[in-house]
This record gives sequence, structure tokens and C-alpha cells, in this order.
Amino acid sequence: MTQAEIKLCSLLLQEHFGEIVDKIGTHLIRTGGQPLRVIVHDTGTSLDQVKKALCVLIQHNLVTYQIHKRGIVEYEAHCSRILRILRYPRYIYTAKTLYSDTGELIVEELLLNGKMTMSAVVKKVADRLTETMEDGKTMDYSEVSSTFGRLADTHFVQRCPFVPDPTDSADAQPPPPAPTLSINEKDMYLVPKLNLIGKGKRRRSSDDDAAGEPKPKRPKQTAESKEPIPDDGIYWQANLDRFHQHFRDQSIVSAVANRMDQTSSEIVRTMLRMSEITTSSCAPFTQPLSSNEIFRSLPVGYNISKQVLDQYLTLLADDPLEFVGKSGDSGGGMYVINLHKALASLAMATLESIVQERFGSRCARIFRLVLRKKHLEQKQVEDFAMIPAKEAKDMLYKLLSENLISLQEIPKTPDHAPSRTFYLYTVNSLSAARMLLRRCYKSIANLIERRQFETKENKRLLEKSQRVEAILASMQATGAEEAQLQEIEEMITAPERQQLESLKRNVNKLDASEIQVDETIFVLESYAESTMKRA
Amino acid sequence: MASRGGGRGRGRGQLTFNMEAVGIGKGDALPPPTLKPSPLFPPLEFRPVPLPSGEEGEYVLALKQELRGAMRQLPYFIRPAAPKRDWRRLPRELKIRVRKLQKERTTILIPKRAPKTPAEKEETIQKLETLEKKEEEVTSEEDEEKEEEEEKEEDEEEEYDEEEHEEETDYIMSYFDNGEDFGGDSDDNMDEAIY
Repeated sequence: MTQAEIKLCSLLLQEHFGEIVDKIGTHLIRTGGQPLRVIVHDTGTSLDQVKKALCVLIQHNLVTYQIHKRGIVEYEAHCSRILRILRYPRYIYTAKTLYSDTGELIVEELLLNGKMTMSAVVKKVADRLTETMEDGKTMDYSEVSSTFGRLADTHFVQRCPFVPDPTDSADAQPPPPAPTLSINEKDMYLVPKLNLIGKGKRRRSSDDDAAGEPKPKRPKQTAESKEPIPDDGIYWQANLDRFHQHFRDQSIVSAVANRMDQTSSEIVRTMLRMSEITTSSCAPFTQPLSSNEIFRSLPVGYNISKQVLDQYLTLLADDPLEFVGKSGDSGGGMYVINLHKALASLAMATLESIVQERFGSRCARIFRLVLRKKHLEQKQVEDFAMIPAKEAKDMLYKLLSENLISLQEIPKTPDHAPSRTFYLYTVNSLSAARMLLRRCYKSIANLIERRQFETKENKRLLEKSQRVEAILASMQATGAEEAQLQEIEEMITAPERQQLESLKRNVNKLDASEIQVDETIFVLESYAESTMKRA
Repeated sequence: MASRGGGRGRGRGQLTFNMEAVGIGKGDALPPPTLKPSPLFPPLEFRPVPLPSGEEGEYVLALKQELRGAMRQLPYFIRPAAPKRDWRRLPRELKIRVRKLQKERTTILIPKRAPKTPAEKEETIQKLETLEKKEEEVTSEEDEEKEEEEEKEEDEEEEYDEEEHEEETDYIMSYFDNGEDFGGDSDDNMDEAIY
């Protein structure tokens, strides 16, 4: 874990879970697996707080535990999973585009709560949807359940590992200090057969049976919630890998659309859709698909003839980008999608764009040149790039100092004499990608810090505006006159209003930048992961 | 050693590699030496590209800000505990007793593996000791341990202290709030505006 990653994780935990969870989580990331006692001792927080923090972290899948010998349980934090918190809005938005509001709310509830049972999710989502609907209409549980089922079928939500049923032999031994959870591959997406009948309820203050809502104002439990939950023990979580797969597919399809035309991108999209469930997320190639299959699975609107489809596939396979490859001739031609190559091209395109935006288009030309030609001498760079020697030198050194380009020595003689050695410029893609990834983490950490600073600076003003809004709302509810409302509004003076406006603008800009940097992180991380798995 | 004459003997000024190979010709002006570390905010040569705007961008932005705010309100957000007070020096009537709501607390929708420990109490030294004692006695599963402890504590200790602190209220305070001091609490719990 690099320093930048640790800092970013700490900021994210602090923003979303509070300082205590932040302290414990950061300590675990830094030191690796630790038992409870050691955590308490090292961080200096009380036992209760540490327990609470660990519960929260485990609930959200950020920390896992393992039993070691002598019955000690060790807790380990997962830095990469904590960094996913940045991507939550993107996941929710994707669910919205695919499964509309119901899907969006289901995924949101699962992400906010870490793990939930299906019945709990359905109830909560139905309640939330009912609130937004017009008076008199309610959301049926069955609709929400069916959307949940569809999400499970397409693997967007998955079951959490559970405690296996205790066998007879286990009774003889004392139960272990922590349960060992496991899950079967085929059980992961099985939706339990629940008979959830009911409708969503509006949350009114006089409502006594706000079922499923742990409202603090209603400590009395109604008879409804005392019933045993039928799917007790079966918890669901959002399957982030599947979402990543979806993002990857989306970027490949849009890359093909940009390079060629709409039809070819549709063909590639069909191929990817067909291999969604058959190919694991880290495979370098999809399963080979025959041209006949592709023809059958094309979306209904596209009525291109088989010949045209074959021509498109040949074009795609011959393209120098090598997204699609031909792996055989049976069934009219077997085609695969080169996932690893696609990710590599996307990552390199990102690198080139970064160089272009930071150093100018001539630097970008040199960078692209060295990337394509792999190894070049100083003289060759000047010749190929058609840039005067002095400027080319300058730019090369600038790139060298930023570690985007490196020097490779090739000795002519065994004594490595410098006057008789070739010095070649080269781009080491993986290390350049990693270096930029580290920079991205640092940028997001800076953005978050700046946003917190801005909010803190104007805290007094923000509180004042909130108070005024609250007063306004309450007065409007009780039916006050226009003049009184005007008076209250004027409590915030014009320059203060301006200040608030500019604060809002800045915070929005910082937030949008975070989202943008996260997209870059996704591309670079997928490339790094794919390369590591291949090697 | 004799050959290393502090850079004054023969061969002074000779570099170990051939400069021409790297591209610095003879007589070329070298770049000026750097005398201080690079500035903290180096001047930007090229302005950054504008951020993507549009429906999708704005929706995701709004989502992000909403999520941040929502997560602060969830019970998963643990606020730091209020400071301990020495009850020997203060009148007893200032101690706030909590109503007997122990049983209900644990039956909210919690996965059994992670009891949302709503039974948060202010730690006095006594409690820590009893906790540790119980921990040593009970040798069963650690998770059950936590639940057992809480249940035991709930059974044994019916009164416990809670302190209302101006700035940082324990989340437990808002949890047990049954609406009597609704107006007052809203000021306490809102640390910052959520944008």
C-alpha cells in the first residue's frame, strides 16, 4: 500500500464513517492482520470503540477476519475495497440506467448498508418508492422482488458467504471463536423463494407500524416485526466485479464506436453481452463465439444480412487495434474479443492524453512514437518525430524527469563502457501506468482535503443559511405572510449570498473532479490488474 | 588513494559516459542549475480540459453529495465519545438515566454477525474492567461474546450514564430520542451542511 493510497483511504473512512472507524481502519491497513487486543493497544482507543468500529468495517466488507492457530482471530483491512467507496455513485447510476429507479434504490441500499437480507431490502425500497409516488399510490413488494431477482440473475448482486450448517461432529468440539464462512459458486445467485406480499408504506409521523424502519422515535416494536424473517441468515451484497465488467464493456463499445461506426459497436456489444456470464472477469479473451451465434443474438432492430455481418467481423478482426480476433473457422468463423489488448489500448490512450494535456502536443507526439516503436535512440526520435533536435532533446528530458520514459542501456562491449553503449528511450507501460495511478490517488486526496477546507472556512455561513431555511420552511408550513417570509430571507445579506454561491460552485467543481479522476483510476487499475494476472 | 586527488588531477571534468550519445553536443549550453526544490504550486503551462457536464454528470454529482450526507446519518457513522466526567464532583441529579429500552435496541434489522452496537454506553473505568473480566471468562465465539456482553450488561446495569455534550453528541443520544426535544437536537447533530 503506497502512502498515497493509505492517505486517501483514511480520508474516505473519515468522511463516511467517522474518525474512530478511520483510526482503526487506517491502522489495520498500515500494519496488516492484527488481533483485537493488539489493535486496542496500538491505537489507544477503548475496547468498546474498537469493537464498534470493527463491526462497522466488517459489515461493509472492508475488513475480513480469519482464525489463526490457538484460536486468535486476526482482522485484515482491504485497501482496494475502501477505495471503491469513491465509485458508489457510478454504480448506483449504472443500476438506474439498467433497471430504472427500483434497481437504483436496491443497489443504493445494499451499498449503504453493506449486507442486507432480501426481505429487508425489498421493504425499505418499497417504502422509499412509495414516498416519492403520488398520494394514494403505493409500491408493491412483488415488483421490487422481481427487480431484485433480475439483478441477481445478471450477477449484479450476490449472496454473502454464510455459516455452513453445523454437522453432528461439530457438536463435540467447542464452537470456534469466529465462524468460517464459505459459499458455493452455484449458490451465489440463488434467490430465495420468498412470499413477500405487501405494499410500501408512507412514512407519516403518526404511523405506528413503520415496518422495517428503525426509527428512534418508535422504540415500541409492533407485532409485524416480531415475525421470524423467512430468509434469515441469507445476506446479499453488491457484486462490484460485475459492475466493473460492465464499465469495461461500455468503454470498449464506445471505443469501437469512435473508431469505426455504430454498427460495429453494436456487434461488439452483442458479443460482450453473450459472454457476460460465461467469461470470468479477469480472462484475457472471451469465449470464442461463432458468427452464426452472433447473427442470431443481434438485437431485433438490426436487420443486417449475414454477409454484411461477416464483412464487419472481418474488418474488426483485421483492425490494427486488435480488439476482435479470429480464433477459428468453424461455424462461419469463431471470433473472440481481446479483453487484455482492449484494456491495454484504453490505458495507453489515457496515458497519451495525459501527456498531451500536461506537456503539449509535440511531447505527446514523441511519447506516442516511443510507445509504438518500443525502443528508439536519441537521433531516431528526432528523425521520426520531425522535430528539431534541440526541442526534441528538451522534451525527452522533461518526460524522462517525470518518469514517463526511461532509458535502456545496451552495451556493445562486456565492460559496459559508456562511450560504447547504446542508450535507448523506451516506455515501460506498466510502471508508467502505476506511477500515474499513484498520482491519481494523491490528486483525489488533495481534492477531498480542499473541499473539507472550503466547507470548514464557511462553516458559520452554512449553518446560518441552514437555520434560515429551516425557519422559512416551518413558517411556510404554518402559513405565514409574504412580508414575513421576505424578512426572513433578507437575514442573509447579498454578499453572503454571493459567498454561498461561490462556495457551492467550488464544492461542485471539486466533487465533479473527484468523479472524473476516479474514471481514470478505473481504466489504469483494470489495465494493471489484467497485466498482472496475465504475467 | 593517490588517483582520487579531490578532482584536481588528470581526468578532471571527464564524465563516465559519452555525452553525445545522450544528446548533449560539445559547446551546448547546459540548462541552469537548480538551486532550490521545485515550487509547491508550479505554474501551469496548459489549462486543464473542462469537466464533463451534462445530465449524467450532474446526476452523478448530486448522487455523490446525497450519499455523503446520507452516510453521516446512518448508524454506521460513529461519532467520538463525549468526555468522561468525574461524577464524584458533580451533583447526582445531573446524571442522565436512560429509559429501559434495552431489548428493542437489538432487534432492529441487523445481520447477526454485526450487531449495530446501539448499546453504547459511556465508558467509566468500572465498565472496562467488567468487560475485560467477562471477556476472559467467556471462551466461546468472539461474536457471540460481544452480544453476550451487551446482553449481560443490559441485564445487570439498568442505569448508566449518558452525557450530553454540546458539539459532539453520541449517536446514541439521537437514537433514544423519542421526540421530546426534537427542536433542540437538530442543532446538535448537524455538524456541517451537506453539499
